[in-house]
Amino acid sequence: MTVRSRGALAITIAALLFLYVPLVVVVLFSFHNTGSLSLPFTGFSLRWYRFVLSDPGFRSALENSLFVAAWTSAVTLVLGTLASFGLARTRSRLRGPLALLFFLPITLPGLFIGLAMLVFFVRTTLNLSLTTVIIAHCVYVFPYFLLIAIAALERLDPALEEAAADLGANGWLRFWRVTMPQIWPLLAGATCLAFALSFDEFVITFFVIGPDGTLPLYIWSQLRRTVDPSINVVSTLLMTVTLVLWLAAFLFALRAARRRAASGDELVAEVVPL
Amino acid sequence: MSEQLAAVTVERITHRFGSVVALDDVSLTFRQGEFVTMLGPSGCGKTTLLRIVAGFERPTAGRVLLGDADITRVAPHRRPLNMVFQRPTLFPHLDVAGNVAFGLRVAGVERAQRDARVAEALQLVRLEGYGKRRADELSGGQMQRIALARALVNRPRVLLLDEPLSALDLKIRLEMEVELRRIHRESGATFVYVTHDQREALALSDRVVVFNEGRVDQVGTPDEIYHQPASPFAARFVGDANVLPVSVVRVDDGQAEVTIGGETVRVQARGDGARVGPAWLVVRAEVVRLTERGLLRGIVRDGAFRGTGFTYQLEVAGVDEPFKAEVTSEGQAVLLPLGSEIGLQWDPSACVLLEREEGA
Amino acid sequence: MLLTLPATAAMAVFFVAPIAIFVVYSFLTAQLYDVSRPFTFDAYAAALDSPLNRTLARNSIEIGLLSAVCSVALALPVAYWLRYATGRWRMVVLFLITASMFASYLVRIYAWRTMLGEHGVVNSALQSLGLIDHPLGFLIFNRFAVTVALVHIFLPYAVLVLFAGFQPIRPGLLEAAQDLGAGSYMRFRRVILPLVAAPALSAFLFVFVLSASDYVTPQFVGGSSGVMLGVQVQANFTTVGNYPLGAATSLLMLAAFVALYLAMRIGLRLARLDRVRFS
Repeated sequence: MTVRSRGALAITIAALLFLYVPLVVVVLFSFHNTGSLSLPFTGFSLRWYRFVLSDPGFRSALENSLFVAAWTSAVTLVLGTLASFGLARTRSRLRGPLALLFFLPITLPGLFIGLAMLVFFVRTTLNLSLTTVIIAHCVYVFPYFLLIAIAALERLDPALEEAAADLGANGWLRFWRVTMPQIWPLLAGATCLAFALSFDEFVITFFVIGPDGTLPLYIWSQLRRTVDPSINVVSTLLMTVTLVLWLAAFLFALRAARRRAASGDELVAEVVPL
Repeated sequence: MSEQLAAVTVERITHRFGSVVALDDVSLTFRQGEFVTMLGPSGCGKTTLLRIVAGFERPTAGRVLLGDADITRVAPHRRPLNMVFQRPTLFPHLDVAGNVAFGLRVAGVERAQRDARVAEALQLVRLEGYGKRRADELSGGQMQRIALARALVNRPRVLLLDEPLSALDLKIRLEMEVELRRIHRESGATFVYVTHDQREALALSDRVVVFNEGRVDQVGTPDEIYHQPASPFAARFVGDANVLPVSVVRVDDGQAEVTIGGETVRVQARGDGARVGPAWLVVRAEVVRLTERGLLRGIVRDGAFRGTGFTYQLEVAGVDEPFKAEVTSEGQAVLLPLGSEIGLQWDPSACVLLEREEGA
Repeated sequence: MLLTLPATAAMAVFFVAPIAIFVVYSFLTAQLYDVSRPFTFDAYAAALDSPLNRTLARNSIEIGLLSAVCSVALALPVAYWLRYATGRWRMVVLFLITASMFASYLVRIYAWRTMLGEHGVVNSALQSLGLIDHPLGFLIFNRFAVTVALVHIFLPYAVLVLFAGFQPIRPGLLEAAQDLGAGSYMRFRRVILPLVAAPALSAFLFVFVLSASDYVTPQFVGGSSGVMLGVQVQANFTTVGNYPLGAATSLLMLAAFVALYLAMRIGLRLARLDRVRFS
């Protein structure tokens, strides 16, 4: 069908500009050779990168963020993989309630999760620290991981496992030789996504963080005072890490989808995580 | 007579998708009230032509006339034509009555009249009382009948049907053919029908247009198409005939003498190939009889029981393709064993000679 | 089924228990940064009575509605184009929209402060073009700025939800509608709108809930007219130290969200658009 979509195309282009111009401006000014954050742009320089990278506050925030995101994604990978297999392969009556429990955090605004966590940690006298942040991030990230993992498992063709069983493969062999090769790219992608979500999380983290800050917290404290391009540098670095991870997740998903020789539209439907 | 008036005329239509030529200089007239079928294999351009008439494609060159009016550049929703699509495209948010009423509602027909015409249309397709059903509660055949009602309720000058039965089971398809003929008679509209099923085309139409690679190969009544194919393509595509390369050695008294692989055979001199020189001899599989003596001799390479008779594939000297024969079980009660040699006989008047280029 | 056990246990301890304690807190009596018995409804009464809360709630609702309406209105044509346009650009645009979802939340807020500030990009660009003499003051520290930033944050989600909503609407359905005489407005009104009503409302609710409960954006670009209820809830926990009041206020917000969700479900059911099954 030849859709006459000139109006829709114009709005699409406008939407893309709206989404990208502010971000491009932030990145652009991270390379500014003066301390000014307004036009005109007078020239490129890496001075603010040097400045930020030599700031011990930034370094520790970066380390903390990597630490938190690594633990969050590792814990999510283990719990999420187990839970997705349990949930996808059961016909138990508990399936519905369990799914509700697992997916509820997605439906709640971060403000509530953060506050409930804060109250919980205060009540149980767990000192606020990076550990509490990791716990909170796991709760927040878990449903996203599960969503992707369950979708991957439900797309598996049960006939393949049956064929493997028919050819004499036992349960363990079927899992490693038939199921895993099909879903590992998506699990890897979901882990990258978990890392990215944790790395960038602020709304919940704000309430449950102790004395050690993460990268978003570092940006937040800068936002409250400064007006020099060092915040643009941190922002650019943060977005780069998140985007690279998302890109990895995207490529993993693309790989999984391509293998199954899906059509263009199916490919799109599978790769868009939502 | 009103039957001779042109409902739709397409004039010198050429259509390209990129570098692919889908239609190459096609001109046709669909007369008022007739049932015309455009027949051809997939990719021959028949659906493209239908979509050009409906307005979903704008032709690269050429004109579409509705009566005398040029509608080539008129948008689909402004054309008094309606279409039944290959896949049932019922609106999933509307019930059956809502679907059938769609066109009337868009046109602003008032409620009382709308309801009456919807009821009438549902009656025409024999689905009275289905108004409150939802699309997913219908069978495939019912969905297509609703699609028909949804189109016919607008009283279109021409109804376009794009392989509407191709998604249905054989049994339902045969029932729907009967329904389509009745609905055509009762509605009096012009039906332009697209199909790749030659049996459907012969069963339904007043006239058949055979398409091949973006061109019109032959136009005629089903009888003409079947008995007097104009090209080897039409002969093969409609009714699956044997098309044999022969040389005509003599023509006299309405009789032609032709040679096939050294054998000489006399046939009626019919068709544009009935002159001395190379020609194609068209022999339909069902006019062939297998006897002890025959015009030609063949070796049985495959045989299958078909209920009413047998179908055979035979090897005949001088013919590259397998020679097909369909015989009734009256003459022979048992299947001939593979490898047996048998004579091939047919009524000399049931053949057509077609022009053949030297060496083809 | 046993495989779900570790996750179930973890979620019970670290998600269900916190929520439960949070609810209990809202019924307790406030001490400074602490709570004590007896159980009362005082916190709820206080939350509902407070004129400040009412003003902030109105701000939240207005900004939330505006953000949700703008996001969905902008996302509809974009998703439409993504679904029905042909060619390779479609994939590129889809990729860009999805990628932008992963641009940091805080960075976006900061980006709009850079764009809209008194010496921001918009003002300095307009000035250098000679269109204005003095910086426009109404660009930032108000509701407009908050709404712009929130739409920027949530637009990609809305586009993807609607894109998924458009998926089952085959181009053939739109052709059939056109064949039956429907022009572009009628196709939108009678086919597209009813068929994407459910996903469009999901996207609307999603943006509304997350916008109305946002507490970070207003702090940085909202000024005094753009303050929202979430900021006050956060303050109750961090600077005021009145836990029950903060808990009660946020649970009332949650109740309002649930009520809105139910109202939408009922609306869809009444319009018989809640269970459209595509064939």
